[in-house]
Amino acid sequence: MEAITAENLTILYNGKPALGGVSFSIEKGETLLLLGPNGAGKTSLLKTVSCFHREYTGKLEVFGKNPCEAREFIGYVPQSHSLNERVPLTALEVVAMGAVYRRGFVHFKIPPETMRRAEEALEFVGLDGLGERLFSQFSGGQKQKILLARALISDPKLLLLDEPLSSLDPSARAEVARILSKIKSRKGLTMVITTHDINPLLDIGDRVMLINRRLIAFGKPEDVLTDDVVKSVYGPLARVIPVGGKLFCITGDVHLYRHGGGGK
Amino acid sequence: MIPEYLLRAFLASIMVSVLLGMLSPLINTKGLAFLTHALFHSLLFGAVLGMILALIFENLSLVMLTALFVTLVVVLLIAYLEKRGFSPDSAVGIVASFAAGLTVLGFGVLYNVMAGRPYFPLSEDIVSYLTGDIFLITLSNLEALSIGGAVLFFIILVLYRDFLYLSFDPDGMESYGGNTTAYLMILYTIVGAIGALIVQTVGLITLQVVAVLPGAIALMVSSDLRKVLGMSLLVTLGVQLSSVALAYFTNIPPSGLATIMLGLIYGTLLLRR
Repeated sequence: MEAITAENLTILYNGKPALGGVSFSIEKGETLLLLGPNGAGKTSLLKTVSCFHREYTGKLEVFGKNPCEAREFIGYVPQSHSLNERVPLTALEVVAMGAVYRRGFVHFKIPPETMRRAEEALEFVGLDGLGERLFSQFSGGQKQKILLARALISDPKLLLLDEPLSSLDPSARAEVARILSKIKSRKGLTMVITTHDINPLLDIGDRVMLINRRLIAFGKPEDVLTDDVVKSVYGPLARVIPVGGKLFCITGDVHLYRHGGGGK
Repeated sequence: MIPEYLLRAFLASIMVSVLLGMLSPLINTKGLAFLTHALFHSLLFGAVLGMILALIFENLSLVMLTALFVTLVVVLLIAYLEKRGFSPDSAVGIVASFAAGLTVLGFGVLYNVMAGRPYFPLSEDIVSYLTGDIFLITLSNLEALSIGGAVLFFIILVLYRDFLYLSFDPDGMESYGGNTTAYLMILYTIVGAIGALIVQTVGLITLQVVAVLPGAIALMVSSDLRKVLGMSLLVTLGVQLSSVALAYFTNIPPSGLATIMLGLIYGTLLLRR
């Protein structure tokens, strides 16, 4: 079954195209890595698929439905630095947020069943026992894990992740990539991940899409990640290097780590 | 024996403290300090418009009702503009400047209306709205404050967590099924209604300070929600009651004393950091 289908999709802002003529589809359970420079349209595509942005032409379906009708299947994970950390919420309260809005308008008290599921979700991402700590007191990587737990508790079929590795140090990037790999293997969710640094995620990526206000390339990583393609998006210094049977994509802001060292 | 007007002032202070103590941390975490500034303009415009209507129709209760109505329209307009994609600052800036212009226009009309009618009964109201004079609170004012305050307190209490989620991550809230438009409208309505309800005790000039600083002080001292709420309530109550007591002996409007006390507490905490 196809999880996302786009045919000649053009995303507009005030009538002007931000991303034009995109056609692609991904199957249920697949992970799509969405790559492109700043302003390429990555977040626009993510927001359109998640029904935050509704101005577009062409066809876009999520599990065979209009994105807004499929919203209950979608778990959206924003960049952690886009959140207002002055709000004194604990990790458990943040995670519970993913479930409480399935029912009712008033949420004075979080139901015990939801709290139990929130604890399980925190355990899944490796933060068990830390639920009572304030969200603002966690490190960047831990915050990203809490947001992943929040998305998981809503029982989504599709996870949309907006640059989950941004602003993280290399070890935190690897840790978040490990959790994403665990989500893929244990839960079999379909994922769309926007990123500037594709290397830590290549192990879980079934499809790679390069965009720069239009579709540059889409396909399997080994087919898409070629010198010519990445140079066309990131400029003449970008390149793809095979190391120990793996591909490393050098786009100017990436880190080579934990894969046996450093490039050429 | 405590004079009745002083007793009314203390009771009004307690109601104001409970409302502001609960609301102030939300104003800080949601970043609504600028909105309370817009509230100042809209309340002033509403009060001026209300005074014109009160003189024309010879009904003083129109002042408060018109101020409440105008304020609610203004805050809901700001919330609507925000939902349409304007930044909160832009939305407030657009509406507040428009309200400020209308206020100046309203004063011109008010002077003309006053020239042809006896306006003595309005004199006390004008003072109450500008500087706030808790000693001028009447029994009917106190009843309105108590009933309205109890309703607003209950709504804030039951929706507190939702308002926190709205402040934390509105996009996330919406993506998980929360109706952000409804929560935003309710929160802004509460801010506007509380402003209109307490303006005669607090005064337009100092409203923004007493609405913002208790929460800012509490958030500076703690980041635990229960402690923040407790601290905010305690600071507001302590400052309001002591300013009434001080005003009784010094004849200085209590709103001015409360503002100075809050400023001193906040400034001291800032210097100690």
